Amino acid sequence: MEGIRRIGASPLERHKRTSFYIFLAPWLIGFVLLEVVPIIWGFQISLTNRTSFPVAIKYVGLKNYLTLFQDADILGSYWVSFVYTILNTLIGVVTGFIFALLLDRQLPGRGFFRTILYFPYMIPLVAVGWIFRIFLERDTGFLNIVLVNLHIIPSGIPYMQQSPMGSILMLSFWQAGWSMIIFLGALSTVPRELYEVATIDGAGYGRRVRHIMLPLISPFIFFQLVMSFIYAMQAFIQPYILNPRPIRGNWVMLNPPPAETFFVMSRAYYIITSQHKFAYGLAMLWVLFAVVLVLTILFVKFGGFWVYTEAEERK
Amino acid sequence: MTTIQTRERWSASLRFVALVLIVIVFFLPLVSMLVTSLKRMDELYRVPARVFPEAAVWENYGLAWTLVNFGKYLINSIILTILYAVPAVMSSAFAGYAFSRFQVRESRALFLVVLSTLMIPVMVTMMPLYMVLARAQFVNQRGLWFVWGLSGIPFIIFLFRQFFSTIPASFEESARMDGAGRFRIFFSIMFPLVQTGLIVASIFAFQWSWSEFLMPVLFLSDEKSTLAVKIAMSYADQKENVLYNIGMAGIVYYTLPLVIVYFALQKRFVAGLLAGGLKG
Repeated sequence: MEGIRRIGASPLERHKRTSFYIFLAPWLIGFVLLEVVPIIWGFQISLTNRTSFPVAIKYVGLKNYLTLFQDADILGSYWVSFVYTILNTLIGVVTGFIFALLLDRQLPGRGFFRTILYFPYMIPLVAVGWIFRIFLERDTGFLNIVLVNLHIIPSGIPYMQQSPMGSILMLSFWQAGWSMIIFLGALSTVPRELYEVATIDGAGYGRRVRHIMLPLISPFIFFQLVMSFIYAMQAFIQPYILNPRPIRGNWVMLNPPPAETFFVMSRAYYIITSQHKFAYGLAMLWVLFAVVLVLTILFVKFGGFWVYTEAEERK
Repeated sequence: MTTIQTRERWSASLRFVALVLIVIVFFLPLVSMLVTSLKRMDELYRVPARVFPEAAVWENYGLAWTLVNFGKYLINSIILTILYAVPAVMSSAFAGYAFSRFQVRESRALFLVVLSTLMIPVMVTMMPLYMVLARAQFVNQRGLWFVWGLSGIPFIIFLFRQFFSTIPASFEESARMDGAGRFRIFFSIMFPLVQTGLIVASIFAFQWSWSEFLMPVLFLSDEKSTLAVKIAMSYADQKENVLYNIGMAGIVYYTLPLVIVYFALQKRFVAGLLAGGLKG
């Protein structure tokens, strides 16, 4: 109380603060109930031996965490998630950037192309997963049927079996619309005159992109990289649906994906729901959370050195 | 001048051709979905396979509706979407308004908290919630979607903050002189001015809850479950063989509402996204 009275000395300031919290209240309630409290619960549970049968629960300290780092399967999952995150981020950002470059300047049908290229991003992930599974199937898949009929390949290629990771990465390409929109917004902030001046000075297209466009939109590239990293780390359902083994109806989520694509989230889901090791699964999630947190902070703090800002220029 | 113009025209044609090729590649999975949904199951496995079905099997679309109780899950999905989207949009708009208009000492720090919620993996919060609620016998509650909505969408809060910041303060001041309260100012003056933001936010909220798989699968019984869960489990015959053709027909139904909303509002949606993202 003391503090509030001191800070909000003027009535105007007090009115402002009241308004601020009144309008922020719904979010604060949701944030506390759905983020803060469960996160604390989760950490508490991860320090116990809890399974799906809540009997004889006892505190075991960091035992789950220590076991985690000796479990080759789980370390494998972290590695697989890491590789997927890097590839997914690269593919998404590069594809989105190229699409934005193609659409940045005047062009017949620009609005149409933009709408169509963003469109796959609107389709829910579970649907996208099944669309691609059926698209890539060896015998019945549309891609193979078209390629065989055009005599490009002699017989069907088992894409999902040959490269489970590759088939999941196709989604990153198909759903690059989000990154395209961010880059289109970014490119529209670059003043046209800069290009014109550079063109008159004899700079070719490559040099204009490299020396004018890229530095000016670097904050957006940075933002895209961070966001894409966070989202890719959370990938979970794709490997279950794009599973190279035959899938049987109601058991989609009970069939563990192959090791090559058993991402951290997918494995945590499996450990918790199929193996009922609640505490262990939560410890696994917490390690990932910590990694995301630390990497993002490092990224934002030190990764920004190559990002161009106006303030730096003035120095 | 003319050389620049010719070069510009050449570049435009090249880009046009490249885009047409990309669009064709982008359409392939969708064509695959439609074509598969119209084939018979044995036709899918025939060698040599044909690109298009011999005769369109429209019955697949009937079966997609009756083989599982599609109507029930559709209604469940709609209920949950409304239950989530209304508080999600309102809470985000409120928060965006608070951050743009009533800046107090701790606003900046709290805004960073909003943005940092992006970093929390969904499972880190959902799994403990599921464990605790299941133990407390507090399961199968749709009310959870309302609370989920309250926690807002960070990107949308950011977007609303941008939109509200573009409205001059004089708009509210004159209303305040006339003695209008906080909420009257918000709903009668500010809210109508951020329509574009409202459209973007609603589409996002709709898309999020329509696609959400983890929450219904963890928290709801089959009676209250959603289309996302049914579509993920796909369609199967008695021997649990997956029926690709009917599954694809189901996906057509499932994605149709999103497709319609997207194409009906896409001009303002994309414009809103571009305008909101600009000052990133």
